[in-house]
Amino acid sequence: MASHLAEESETGSAGLPDSGDSLDLSTFEQILEMDDDEDEREFSRSIVYGFFEQAEATFGKMDKSLSAAESQKHQGENELANLSSLGHFLKGSSATLGMTKVKDSCEKIQHYGAHKDDAGQPTNMEDTLLLKKIKATVATVKVEYKEAERILKQFYHDPDAHTA
Amino acid sequence: MRFDDNMDDRQSIGGGSANSSSDFVSYFHFHHHENGDLLTLVQVRKLYKMLEDPSYSQVVRWGDDGGSFVVLENERFTKSILPKHFKHSNFASFVRQLNKYDFHKVRHNNEENGHSPYGSGAWEFKHPEFKANNKDSLDNIRRKAPAPRKPPQVVDEAAPTQQMDLVNTQLVATQQQLQQLQQRYEELNIHHSILTQELMNVQKTVVNHEHVMQNVMSYLHSVDARQRRDSKIGGPFAHTEENNVPPANVDPAQQQISPLEDEPASPLQHATKLLHDLNADVQLNYKNLEHMSDLHNRNGAISTPPPDGSRGHARAPTSAGSSSSMGYAKLHGDTEAIVYPVGQSNGIDPMYSEHIHNIPYPMPSKENEAVDSRMSAPAARKKSTQVDPGWVRPPQILLVEDDPTCRRIGSKFLYSFRCAIDSAFDGLEAVNKMNAGSKYDLVLMDIIMPNLDGVSATHLIRQFDHTPIIAMTSNIRSDDISMYFQHGMNDVLPKPFTKEGLLNMLEKHLGHLKHMPDGIEPMAPHQGSSIPQSSAAQSLKDESSPAQSPSTISNWQSPGQFPGISPTHAAAPHQFMHPMHAGYSQEQSPVQFQTPHTPLGAPRQMQHRRQISEIGGEDISSDAKRQRMYDQANPLGMNPMHPGRPR
Repeated sequence: MASHLAEESETGSAGLPDSGDSLDLSTFEQILEMDDDEDEREFSRSIVYGFFEQAEATFGKMDKSLSAAESQKHQGENELANLSSLGHFLKGSSATLGMTKVKDSCEKIQHYGAHKDDAGQPTNMEDTLLLKKIKATVATVKVEYKEAERILKQFYHDPDAHTA
Repeated sequence: MRFDDNMDDRQSIGGGSANSSSDFVSYFHFHHHENGDLLTLVQVRKLYKMLEDPSYSQVVRWGDDGGSFVVLENERFTKSILPKHFKHSNFASFVRQLNKYDFHKVRHNNEENGHSPYGSGAWEFKHPEFKANNKDSLDNIRRKAPAPRKPPQVVDEAAPTQQMDLVNTQLVATQQQLQQLQQRYEELNIHHSILTQELMNVQKTVVNHEHVMQNVMSYLHSVDARQRRDSKIGGPFAHTEENNVPPANVDPAQQQISPLEDEPASPLQHATKLLHDLNADVQLNYKNLEHMSDLHNRNGAISTPPPDGSRGHARAPTSAGSSSSMGYAKLHGDTEAIVYPVGQSNGIDPMYSEHIHNIPYPMPSKENEAVDSRMSAPAARKKSTQVDPGWVRPPQILLVEDDPTCRRIGSKFLYSFRCAIDSAFDGLEAVNKMNAGSKYDLVLMDIIMPNLDGVSATHLIRQFDHTPIIAMTSNIRSDDISMYFQHGMNDVLPKPFTKEGLLNMLEKHLGHLKHMPDGIEPMAPHQGSSIPQSSAAQSLKDESSPAQSPSTISNWQSPGQFPGISPTHAAAPHQFMHPMHAGYSQEQSPVQFQTPHTPLGAPRQMQHRRQISEIGGEDISSDAKRQRMYDQANPLGMNPMHPGRPR
């Protein structure tokens, strides 16, 4: 059993050569360990692809919230809270998958939306500035997410991987 | 043209893109600086002459006021004009030469936003003596004194690299230590919170029992007084009354203290005295603990002191001095300030993911160790998690988590630990499920959720249920943690959780569901050590059927005569006094917590489970050994402490 597990671990890390710091391998391997079949990787695949959908949907909601905040000046406060909770939501799942960069950016969005600075300290920045910062961070996190997505799709031999 | 190596060195230090295109000016100046001024003049005149050529005016020309000259088109200037006049095509060289003659580039405010009147790509240079229509003043232009050379440069550069290596190694090692310290600190922090909370609970229970006992005693005093008064009056009455009263009600306490029934006042006095002594002890400890809490709060470790003073960081009351406590608080503050920014809890993990990979040179042995340990960690974890933890039956776990990814992964992990899993989307669903009568052995509760957050949900659940609830959250600052505990949560599992952390949590709180290899019955501890078996059995019976005090069944007077004091309470002080004499370690006696008067509404049963599980787990303490003795001697199998436990 032990040797089988060690083997699994090796294939797990060997399959993800170029993850860099987009993906924390030790965290992601925990999920790979849960796969019953190392070729099919049904469980982790469904988790990861479920996360892709979740992330895209969350980004969509973030964009919607941002444009709503821009068009209705007085709704800024509500949208900030909404963005904060969207950031928190994606933070949890990205952290569990080991997407460290995405997680950190989501945390920033959560902080800004809750009137806090990058480090989570309360700030009296104006709503418009906070929204601006969130907008920039959303743009960043999308890039970081794309990179992680590319690596993961490659790992799962997704035909989209090369076009993405 | 011959080129000078030294000159190249200088250029590279100057930061320009030194290339070896012809640069006779610098050659001459370097080797013949005694004639430098003459040559300077030659060069400057060349420049002057170049500017007088009107065909260049689109590329290089005098400035508008004649006090400066402007290179309008850098590229054309470099390619077509420089070679004609200066025999090279290196703009950087040209600029360097100008600098040597003490020309300065004219800056327009800051370079990003200021706009040069000659366009954004223009370079404007100025020398006070270099003016259009003033050829004579060119003679005043002198070459600047050459900057002192730095011959040992090569050595200088090599040494810092080695030092950098060393410093980096030390830095990495230090960060590693810091991180270990932080992890240890967080662990201790949680333990402290638990311990303090439990101590507080025990103390409050103790105080409550005290009050109950005082009530009992004062009542007994009145009964005793009446009895003696009665006994003075009549013979036959006296006999019955005497047998009646004390055993039925005072029984547990009095029998223990003094079996001399022919002297009714003496046991009472004895009990009163004991009670008095006990009281003093408890008061002292209580104050002590609060003092610790206060000290920590005052030292500013946490900005918001918790409402009831049950801070998570007080030391145990037995560890004495306030000075040591202060020292600890100080340390606490410092560690937090230093370690937090690089800590895992912040999501930044420079040790492993970023730092190491970004260090461009090979790290010495310490570094390798770090990497090795990281590599070996998953393997070790795997081994431990794939093993069946050995449950008596599959633990029922409720996973409360709004995030589908976390929920699925958490469920999968739990499933691999042979647990039966139910899940709830948010706090509301969790409360509803538990309120509807679903029984679980453990609840894993996210904190931030829609509709109802985890802390509020726990607060509600605690009104009717005492299943252990573990907070799963990335908010693990110590004030967060103490809030979780205050609202009845039992432990904290930091997010993102690992399989290892999850398994540890299960083993910690579900130890009573595990097979015990050495034959200890998991539900074991019925009694504290100093309680005689018979009285233990008696008290258990008291709870199930109040009227059956063994020696005095026939004489039992209606409980209605004792307003406000239930039979359970009458028994409780007895159970409780002895453990108190033996110290806090006796809190494992389950019976003493059976009183419904739990001042905090705190999860008593859970705490017992935890302690039991700890006994079952790593550390068999002396208490556990005693309990094992009792288990063998007293295989009643009764388990009064888990009335609501799912089976």
